[in-house]
Amino acid sequence: MDMKTITVGYGDVTKVQIGPGLPLAFLGGPCAIESRDHAFKMAEAIAEITQRVGVPWIYKSCYDKDCRSSPDSFHGLGMDEGLQILADVRKEFGVPVVSDFSDPSWGPATGEVCDLVQIPAYLCRQTSILRAAALTGRPVHIKKGQFMSPWNMKNSVRKLESFGCHDIMLADRGTFLGYNMLVNDMTSFPIMARTGYPVCFDATHSIQMPTSMGDISGGQREFIPYLVRAAVACGINALFMETHDDPDNALSDANTVLDIKYLENVLRQAKIMHQARLDILAEFGEDNIHPNG
Amino acid sequence: MQDSPRNLRVKDVALPLDRCPVLAPNAFFKTALEAMGRSRLGIVCVVDADGMLRGIVTDGDIRRQLLKMQKPFSAFFGDDVIEHAIPHPTTVGPDMPLLDAVNLMEEKQVWDLPVVDADGKLVGLLHLHPIVKLLVSQQD
Repeated sequence: MDMKTITVGYGDVTKVQIGPGLPLAFLGGPCAIESRDHAFKMAEAIAEITQRVGVPWIYKSCYDKDCRSSPDSFHGLGMDEGLQILADVRKEFGVPVVSDFSDPSWGPATGEVCDLVQIPAYLCRQTSILRAAALTGRPVHIKKGQFMSPWNMKNSVRKLESFGCHDIMLADRGTFLGYNMLVNDMTSFPIMARTGYPVCFDATHSIQMPTSMGDISGGQREFIPYLVRAAVACGINALFMETHDDPDNALSDANTVLDIKYLENVLRQAKIMHQARLDILAEFGEDNIHPNG
Repeated sequence: MQDSPRNLRVKDVALPLDRCPVLAPNAFFKTALEAMGRSRLGIVCVVDADGMLRGIVTDGDIRRQLLKMQKPFSAFFGDDVIEHAIPHPTTVGPDMPLLDAVNLMEEKQVWDLPVVDADGKLVGLLHLHPIVKLLVSQQD
């Protein structure tokens, strides 16, 4: 099967290509845009780290967190202020930016600024939001719903294609194992890759324990490096991790974001593992064990 | 008076294209089973956008797959039909003598043979039942 490469970035930013045989791309930033100062502070820190490690980077942060457990949780700065900050980060650092959006009416404005538009996992089947994402004309990053099988994501891909979008990336961010618990099925990567599009691992949401703490989600962030190494070995094209300089006081996903002090370590491991996989495939050939023996 | 079977060609008996179960390569595999049921034929022809035959799926192939395949039905049904199609199936041309085609069916132990033109485009399907019906009617 021919695997597609997608290019993220318009205008003057450093374009990031994501696809087979290419360097592992990194999507990262604070879960939510907390303030202009914080967004810039995080962007500056991540820019330095990704430059040192040599990882292509897309800045991720959201302007409206519409799936928080509690009405009292921080919802975000809102579309106008949030997108303006993203546009300014994009301009200042020359980095492509990605945000998700949770309402079809937010699509045009999101696509106006963002180089990559993201479909939240809970909404990955929603035709109206898939249509809105496709109509932005930007590449679309769609997360597999925690309730979805990896093979059923083909339906969402077909929807996006039917609306004219052919630059797609699919992410695994965990699958529900009963209540309040997620697991990662590593076969999801080769299965979703059979759509022909690049695949991504969302490490920090995968270790989430959804709404396990009553009105907020918990998480087991100590497992991030284990899962990252496993996912990279399974052939992901991009790695997604939310990161924060002060996780305990993060306004969103405080129990799952990766403390930025660990980011360089994890990215270096991921980069080495990615290259090792490419070397293994070069020596032993593509994985080709036939299901029927 | 009907032609002697020796004078008949494949095109004289073959089902026309609009009677053949035909699917695009990326159709869901489940639709192959549905198409077989609707057509009451044990075969589906996989045809690309240019009408070229890319493979076939028969009920025998599905039975054999079911005995070997270990993945969930939901994954099986969602596969692209081309993943389970037999590529490069035996075919016949529309002008092939019918008896030669019947001998080919006997040799290959198949009930159906896709009919393709010189370019490889699907133009019909040779199914055993109409042939038997014709031959029986000629005995009457």
